[in-house]
Amino acid sequence: MSEPRTEKQVLEELSDEQRALLKRVLEVERAKLHITAYDATDDLLAAVKEIIP
Amino acid sequence: MKLQSITLTNFRQFKGEQTFDLTSDGVKPVTLMFGANGAGKTTLLNAFTWGLYGTMSDDVEQQDRMVTDAVWRALPMGQSVEVAVEVRFDHEGQDYRLLRSATLRKESDDQGRLSAQLQLWTTQPDGSSEVSHAPQETILSILPVGVSRFFFFNGERIENLVKKGAYAEVQKDIKVLLDLEQVERAISHLPKVNRKLTDELKKHGGDTASAIQDAIDTLTDQQAKAKDELKVIEGDLATLGEERDATTELLRQHAEAAPVQAERDAVNKELTEARTARDAALTERAVLVATKGFQAFTDALGAKTKAMADNLYQKGALPAPLKREFVDQLLNDGTCICGTDLAEHSEPWDNVKEWRQRAGLQAVETAWQQLSGQIAPLADARAGLRESLSNLMVRIQNERDRVARLEARKSELDGKLKDSRLEDVQALETKRMDLEGRIALKNQRKGSIEADLVTFAKEIDQKTRERSRAQVTDELAAKARSRSDLVTYVKKALEEILAIREEDMRLRLDAELKAVFKSITHQAHVPTLSEGFELTLHKDVNGVQLPVPKSTGENQILSLSFVAAVSKLAREIRKERRAEGSSAEDAGTYPIVMDAAFGSLDQDYQEAVSRALAKMAPQLVVLVSKSQGLGKVVTELLPYVSHLGVIETHTTAAGSVADDIELEGMTYPYIRSSESDFSELKVIK
Repeated sequence: MSEPRTEKQVLEELSDEQRALLKRVLEVERAKLHITAYDATDDLLAAVKEIIP
Repeated sequence: MKLQSITLTNFRQFKGEQTFDLTSDGVKPVTLMFGANGAGKTTLLNAFTWGLYGTMSDDVEQQDRMVTDAVWRALPMGQSVEVAVEVRFDHEGQDYRLLRSATLRKESDDQGRLSAQLQLWTTQPDGSSEVSHAPQETILSILPVGVSRFFFFNGERIENLVKKGAYAEVQKDIKVLLDLEQVERAISHLPKVNRKLTDELKKHGGDTASAIQDAIDTLTDQQAKAKDELKVIEGDLATLGEERDATTELLRQHAEAAPVQAERDAVNKELTEARTARDAALTERAVLVATKGFQAFTDALGAKTKAMADNLYQKGALPAPLKREFVDQLLNDGTCICGTDLAEHSEPWDNVKEWRQRAGLQAVETAWQQLSGQIAPLADARAGLRESLSNLMVRIQNERDRVARLEARKSELDGKLKDSRLEDVQALETKRMDLEGRIALKNQRKGSIEADLVTFAKEIDQKTRERSRAQVTDELAAKARSRSDLVTYVKKALEEILAIREEDMRLRLDAELKAVFKSITHQAHVPTLSEGFELTLHKDVNGVQLPVPKSTGENQILSLSFVAAVSKLAREIRKERRAEGSSAEDAGTYPIVMDAAFGSLDQDYQEAVSRALAKMAPQLVVLVSKSQGLGKVVTELLPYVSHLGVIETHTTAAGSVADDIELEGMTYPYIRSSESDFSELKVIK
């Protein structure tokens, strides 16, 4: 059986843009964790457009 | 988050303004507070949660009496008083001052409900301070309310954390603490972002790309629908599973209760018999006493009569030498047996008549003969009566003993049966079968949806690749496609990260839990955290893992081990290389504030728990009474204690109630008589 993959491996396989978006997405979600009704769509879309302007 | 101090103003028992310093470091992370029962340990714990979230635990009674009673009573009508909790803490490099306060105007003796305001100030490392405009949101982002129960708790109720049925909530809270929740949320939010981007692609991307995107959208919709259905089915399965377990439990109880029930019926029947036998014996005794009881008193009478008769025999009066009937005959005939004429009132007549007085009656003699014949049998009857009575007494006593024994047994069996809710076994069995059937159907559906989801994912992948190759001339469409590709890849990566984290967290939490639990308990029990975050306890019996029924004490130890493990892991994971980037120095650090910290644990367990917590928690506030905290707990914790305090009780109770507490060789007031009831936070070191 092969070794289980690690978070580090997953991150290393991403491009810079993908890694940047992933980090940004988690930041946005983490900041609003306590608001259950939060709709992240607009904030996340803005993050995507920042990375690919 | 690390606590720096707490200030209470007229908060419950704490009269006036009282502050306690809580600053601590890694070497001495512990604050130890002693307080008698009712001193306010639970109030102090609740002061933290009230300050942070505006709520107190359900076990706090009279929640609408927030202002110290003595202060409220002394307050003139129409005047106002302030009640407040201020908590100072630091979190990720910033200092915070939190103030939840309310002003209450006295309009009657009842305080009524408070309407408290929350204010929060942050101080930057450069010393500048600013007011937070969303104080509650900020606090919730530092320590979500669900997560707080791992850190602010009552030791006596901590076992609720590992009780059956608590897993779902615990799992959700742990996800927040262990950085899983934000990944899950991102995964659920990204498809909406993607849809907005692909709408642009469809608008500007030409027929081919649009057609491909339409196919992808349809597949994505189907996928989302299937995922929703899967969630519903999983929920249904959990509910059905619980119901099946409950039914099986009832059946098991019934199987256990059946012999008890049978014995109870038998005992009940025998008890009725015994009571009847006892009552019959009592009646028999009553009849015997009523009909033959007099015989008991004939002992002296018989002897006396015999003596009298013997005396008469000796005197020759019995049997009588002359019968009255014979004398009467002579007087009647007028001639004596000697031939003398017996003329009335003549001398011979008088002589014979005189004999009449001395002669005996035939009837008397006959009666006497009969009576004397009865004297001997009367003695026998007396002996018989005594024997019958004593036999009856033995019988009555035996039956009484039997009744008492059966009554005791019946109570015992009634007690055993009281807690088992017995339903018709047949109905229960049918219900169980029905539930099994429904579970099987749901599982079938679940399997089919899971297979569909795999197909959808593959098809979406394939279509996305097709979309990448499709000719797109429009610049906006090309950009939308790149953005959509980016979002799709990130979502896939997040899904993989979530799976990795979930498994990694569970394995590490499981390992940590095992280590902590082992360091505390002297039992060879091993806790396991299952994939569903269910905590179970097992023991190894000749290589076979058998589940151990958890006692209250073991549940408390398990919960405390769990808290210690979660606390340690929350800090560890934030120091590792993660998708979120580097964290602040104290990220994942939370204080543990424990009331009645050691619940009902034995001394050696208290010692081991103290040691484990002092070593694992970055900051620990322990609230204990003298009986819980002196001895091994103090010895174990003192090397780690930075602040030592006593919640001094002032009471109006009559009599000599004063009590002291001895700490580190010095005596401090613990309870004192006073003109009003209140508590004071006293610093010892």
